[in-house]
This record gives sequence, structure tokens and C-alpha cells, in this order.
Amino acid sequence: MELLIKNGSVYDPSNGINGDKADISIKDGKIVDKVSSKATVIDAGGRLVMAGGVDAHSHIAGAKVNVGRIMRPEDTRSGIKPRTKLTRPTTGYTVPNVYAMGYRYAQMGYTTVFEAAQAIMKARHTHEELEEIPIIDKGALTLFGSNWPTMDFVREKNMDKLAAYISWGLLASRGFGVKVVNPGGGEMWGFGKNVTSLDDVVPNFDVTPREIIVSLMKANEMLGLPHSVHLHCNNLGKPGNYKTTLASMELADQVKASRDRQVLHVTHLLFNSMGGTNWGDFESKADEVANYLNNHDNVTGDMGQMIFGSATTMTADGPVQYANAKLMHAKWANGDVELEDASGVVPLYYIKQVSVYAIMWATGLELGLLTKDPYKMLLTTDHPNGGPFVNYSEVIALLMSNKKRQEEIKTVHEAVHSKTRLPGIERELDFSEIAIMTRAGTAKVLGLLDTKGHLGVGADADVSIYDIKPDQIDPSVEHAKIKSAFSSAAYTIKGGQVVVKDGQITATPMGRTYWVDARVPEQHTNEMMKDIVKKFKNYYSIQLANYMVQDAYLTHPKVVKAGAIPVEVR
Amino acid sequence: MQIVTIKPTKEIKISTEVENISPDKFAGKTEQEIKSLEAWIGNQKMTIGELFSVKVEGSAPAADTKIVMEGDFSRVKRIGEGMTAGLVIINGNVDMHLGAKMSGGKISVKGNVDSWAGREMKGGELIIEGNAGYYLGAGYRGESCGMRGGKITVMGNALDFVGEHMCGGEIIVNGNTGILPGLSNNGGKIVIGGNTSRPGSEMSKGTIIVNGTVDEMMPVFKLEGNEAVDGVTYKKYTGDVIVNGKGLLYIK
Repeated sequence: MELLIKNGSVYDPSNGINGDKADISIKDGKIVDKVSSKATVIDAGGRLVMAGGVDAHSHIAGAKVNVGRIMRPEDTRSGIKPRTKLTRPTTGYTVPNVYAMGYRYAQMGYTTVFEAAQAIMKARHTHEELEEIPIIDKGALTLFGSNWPTMDFVREKNMDKLAAYISWGLLASRGFGVKVVNPGGGEMWGFGKNVTSLDDVVPNFDVTPREIIVSLMKANEMLGLPHSVHLHCNNLGKPGNYKTTLASMELADQVKASRDRQVLHVTHLLFNSMGGTNWGDFESKADEVANYLNNHDNVTGDMGQMIFGSATTMTADGPVQYANAKLMHAKWANGDVELEDASGVVPLYYIKQVSVYAIMWATGLELGLLTKDPYKMLLTTDHPNGGPFVNYSEVIALLMSNKKRQEEIKTVHEAVHSKTRLPGIERELDFSEIAIMTRAGTAKVLGLLDTKGHLGVGADADVSIYDIKPDQIDPSVEHAKIKSAFSSAAYTIKGGQVVVKDGQITATPMGRTYWVDARVPEQHTNEMMKDIVKKFKNYYSIQLANYMVQDAYLTHPKVVKAGAIPVEVR
Repeated sequence: MQIVTIKPTKEIKISTEVENISPDKFAGKTEQEIKSLEAWIGNQKMTIGELFSVKVEGSAPAADTKIVMEGDFSRVKRIGEGMTAGLVIINGNVDMHLGAKMSGGKISVKGNVDSWAGREMKGGELIIEGNAGYYLGAGYRGESCGMRGGKITVMGNALDFVGEHMCGGEIIVNGNTGILPGLSNNGGKIVIGGNTSRPGSEMSKGTIIVNGTVDEMMPVFKLEGNEAVDGVTYKKYTGDVIVNGKGLLYIK
């Protein structure tokens, strides 16, 4: 199967191609040097060509996504499309059904998406859903931040056991990386409490969030995992939390990266860049956070941009969801994952005329615009916390057009002028920078830049073509065209197969599920397993034998190998 | 003025959904055009013409369109859904979701209506001369706002959960209602002529007036003394105190 994409205006920033006219040759699902004359030709006709989109943080599958579906029957009433000969029925907006996840991402030109949080104990559910999401490649980050074994090994300062636990946890959950949510807070929420700073001691475990984060970063680098620690900071969603965020970022200085990437990825920074002391004097501190990123190369972040309208917030951060539900008189679902984590789901409606929401909306855009290097600030909406992923085109248009931003600013609460810097920011991102924030940067942060996020020889043949001619459009003025083009790809090619043409699904191949097989010395695993067996005997409600995700759950696995290497500590 | 007369051509025994029966959809259309509009009976897609006889007089925009429905529509759902103007007169009983999401115009029913009449209604008027089912003027499953505006009048009785999650508008039930009228209310006004039970639970805003007896009172309201409304003296309660509500409950 050969394919040749001709006359594209190609943006492939990690290979130094910025809008050059170039042909892309595809053979057997990979990008190659050249193809024979028998290849099927797609004439891009000068239109925008990028690698397939990569999303590093989106809640697309698993227990809490499903809780969102169950508690929001009203959401299911939107986005309804009956089945066709090719596609299965779709429903929902903020919490779409599994098929819609795959179709809608592919229709936007995205081909790889990572679920941002799965508890090991709930991983079977995650994989059952991932197996039903068509077209896109996917994977899931595994929660380690409040797990009892993690905190035990951190307290014992036993890095070998901690690394062995991560290795085993990734195997047990078929996970891709280490996700840390409100470290320590998940455990304390079991007692109706929360941690409020990096130095609060978690009762019964005698560890602090600071120790948990640093130890997990060290273990992550010992294992040489493709992705770094992926942190959802303490104090998320509280005014004044930017100080906690900055202090958390500083912890990255204590650890050296084992690969060419960051040592810490701080996610949905919008919710962690809050100034003020309460909701009355609440303001954006995106400039401080962006400034830190501009001066440090070991930390990356993503926006978590807010979209006005309906959202379903879902997170392993149980206490913040209780606060949200009380504050907004909203529906609330609470979950407890035994020895591992808490969770909460709360539907919210972001209104333009509410000052807090207007400031948060501006904060996300400030983060995108004030961070100079787009490799350090990925484009996300923390789907569906900030808003559904189908709105990425709106975010792209806002980042590319100051005119659109000024038009929007006129329609939102006036606090956006006094509490944020957004009205005075004139920067407009170009296609290269967008390609980095949605493709090359994401792939680099995930440690997948060898095969994803670029169009060089050897990369996966994931390509998207958008219906705009970069040399004939002024994104600043014609932002409506930008938005419409990025919301519906002219072509999406996944693994060398055309899956979307003119915004319509044309094929529904099964994507692969990425997971990391990180090896550690056998005696470390044996030592660690003694503790785990004890935990199952004394505390877990299920047997160890029923805990592991078996191979049968992953019909199209893509295993990334990693393994213990000596860690350098500065 | 456009007058459209609709009659079932045969007895409809299984659930039928015809959201296309609405002045907005019929306005300016000929008999043939109306007959070819979509209708669902059970899991089968059909047309209005296959289920009903249609007679059209004149042609006018939605505001000047009157639909007269003669016969038994007790298995026909979603009549007048989302209508913005015009008049629908139904000389018979109807099934669920009558006038759901309507924002203008008027529907008048001679018979009884089933559950969810006036669901999430935004404006206009709904007059029911018989009885209403459950969830009159309520929000559908999961919805945080039911009725937001307009007026519903029921001459007979209504069943449970009248105006659940109501955020605005007015519901008048001349007869009795079932349990929990005004459940989780966040605005609007409910007037009950007869008896009810456990009114206003979880209400944070809005007004409920009960002229009959209240069989059981939720212990979440604070008695504020007597107050006259439109010349009638009621006991005035505020609540629901559990949700820190500012709802008003007047009981004779």
C-alpha cells in the first residue's frame, strides 16, 4: 500500500520544514523516502499539511469518564448521530460515547491521544473502553501519587522498591507513564481532609507531597521511561495556588533527565496559575508561571484551556471536586479507589459574564502566549474539564489571531482587563508554533518523537491536511476560516490509510494501545512483591490474581521498552 | 391565516413520535408537503400522511398558523416540540412531551396529557383542560433547569414532581398534585388549587402556593408567620434550609 501526498504546504517543525512545498511518501504505514509510480496520489493543492495531531492529556476512557456519562444523561442528548454503514452511533458533547471519541479526534486531524489518569485497580475498565475507541492510537497514564506502596517506599527512601513498583504498576495497568494527582491528597481525602502545601505530612504515612514528587521523578528517570512524571499539582483550583505550582516546578532541579525531554510535565496549568487569596480578589498569575517556564528547560506544561459552555470536570483530585460541587450547587460524584486514589466528577457550566470564569479563560490563553517556546506549552483543554476536545480549533484560532481575542474580550466579564494581561498581549502564533503545540511538542513531551508528531522518514504515516492555503491566508484576520479548517480536516491519514476525507469518516481501522514495559532487576521486584502481597491480603477487596490487566484486554498493543539505568542525582 | 386539521386515519396502538406537528413546521406548507414530513411509529420511520389525514386551508407564517387535532392522540408524543409561535388545539388526549422546549405560541388540550408536558419550556402557553401526568414543566433526566418561562395551566389534577428543577415561568394546577411539587426548584411560581404532599424539597429559589391541604410537610422549612398573597392569608415558609435556599412556600 503506497501513498503520495503532493503539493502540500508542509509544516513539520521538528524537521525544520516550515511551510515549504514538499511531497510526502508513505509505504506500509510509515513515511519513506520515495514510493513507486504505482502509489495512490493525493493532491494537497497547496493546502496545509501537518503530522497527525497528538494529545498528551485528555480524559477519554475509564471509570470516571463513565461516571460522567451516567450522571449526565442530559449531555447524551446532544451530539447524537445514528449509525451509518461505516460508523457506529455517536452521542454526547462533554462525555461522548467511546465511538465518538475516535471519530471526532480523527475528524480534527488527531491520530494519537493519551488518557490522562487511570488507577491501577480501574485499569481494566480503561482498557475495555480504549479497545472500543476506533481509529486513533492511544494509551493511558497510571496514577501513582497517593498509592499506599508509593508512600511506604518513599518514607523508607527505598528507590529500588519504588522503581520496581512503578514497573510492576505499569505492567498491571498496561500504562504508559507516571501520573501524579494532588500527591498525598487522594489518601487524605479518605478522611475528609486534604494537603494544603508541599510540606504537609500525610497522616499514617509520614511523607510529604514534596518527597512523593521528588522520589517519583527519580524513580521515573531510573527507569528511563519515555514520558516524564506528569503532575497535577496540589491546591489545584484554589486562589493563590501559583506559589505551590512554582514550588513544585522547582523540585525538577533535583533530578536529571534520562532522555532528551523534561523531567516534569505540569498539566492543565490554567487551574494552577491562580493568584489572589479568595474568589473576590482572584487574579491570573499566568505570567509568573510562563516566566518560570521561559527560564527553565526541565519543565513543560499544557494549557488546559477553558471553553465557555458545558464542561464535565473529572479528576482523581477528590477534595477539589467536593469544593466545586459545594460552591456551584452542582451535581457531585465521589469515588474512592481503595489503596490508590480518590476521584470526583462535577458538571459545570462556564459563563462568560462570571468574573472568575472570564479570568480563567484568559489565564489559559496567557499561558499559551506568554510561554515563548511552544515546546514547553502544549495545547489542551484538559478534556472535558476545561471543555470538550472538539473545541481545539477555537483555541488555535484564538492563539493565532489577536483580532479574535479582542472581539471575544468584548463579550466576557470586564475583570479580564484588570485581573489578567491578555488584552495587552499582541503575539499571534504561526502555523509552525501551532504544529509544535499540537504535534511535535506533544510527541516530544511524551517521549514519542521518533515515530509521532513529525513527517520525517521512519515516522508513523499519520498525516492531516487542512483546507487552508497558508501562503494565501492571514490567520489574524480570517480567524473564522482557521477555526473551521482545524475543526474538520480535509484528509486525516492514520498509519497510511485515509480515515477522514472532507470531514467525513472513510475508514475505521483499529488503533494501537501504547504501554511501557520497564524492566528492573528481578530481586527488586521480588522484594517489592512481598509488600504488595501483604497489602492484598490485608486491605484490598480483590485478589492479586484478579488485579492485573491481561494481554486479552489489548488486542493491538504497542509495547515501548524501558528499563533501570543508574540515576544521577544533582 | 392557515388552518391545518389533523385526524388519525386508524387507531394508533404503539408509541409514535411526531415532533413535526408544530406550527413552525406546517407554516406555508401544502397538504402534500405536510403529509411527507417524517414521523416515527415504534422503530419504523413513516410519514405524517401514513398516520393521519391532513386538511389545509390557507397559507400563512407560523404565527398565523392554527393546527386543529381531532381524535385520540394518546400514543402520540412530542406534539409541538420546540414551537415558537402559532396555535395548536387538541380535541383529545395526548402522550408524553407535549410542547417540550416550546418558546412561544399556545397549545390547548381538551383531554388529558401524559408525563413531561411543557418539559424545559421557555415561553408560550400550555392549557390542559383534563389531567396532567408526572413531571409537568420539569427538566428531563439530568437537566439542571426545567421550565424557564411561559405559563402552564391545568384544570384537573397533576401527578408527582410538578415543575421539578423549574427555573422560571408559572405553573397553575387547579386540582390536586402528587408528591414533591417544585422539587429542586430554582425559580418560577407554582400555584396548586387542591392538595399535595411534601412540596418544595431542595428548592433554592422560587415560589409555591398551596391552597388545599398539605398531607406531609418536609421538615426543612422555616415558618415566617402569616402573609397575604392576592388578598388571601397564607402561612409563609422559607427554605429548603438544607441547601440554604431562599424559596418561598405559602400554605393556607
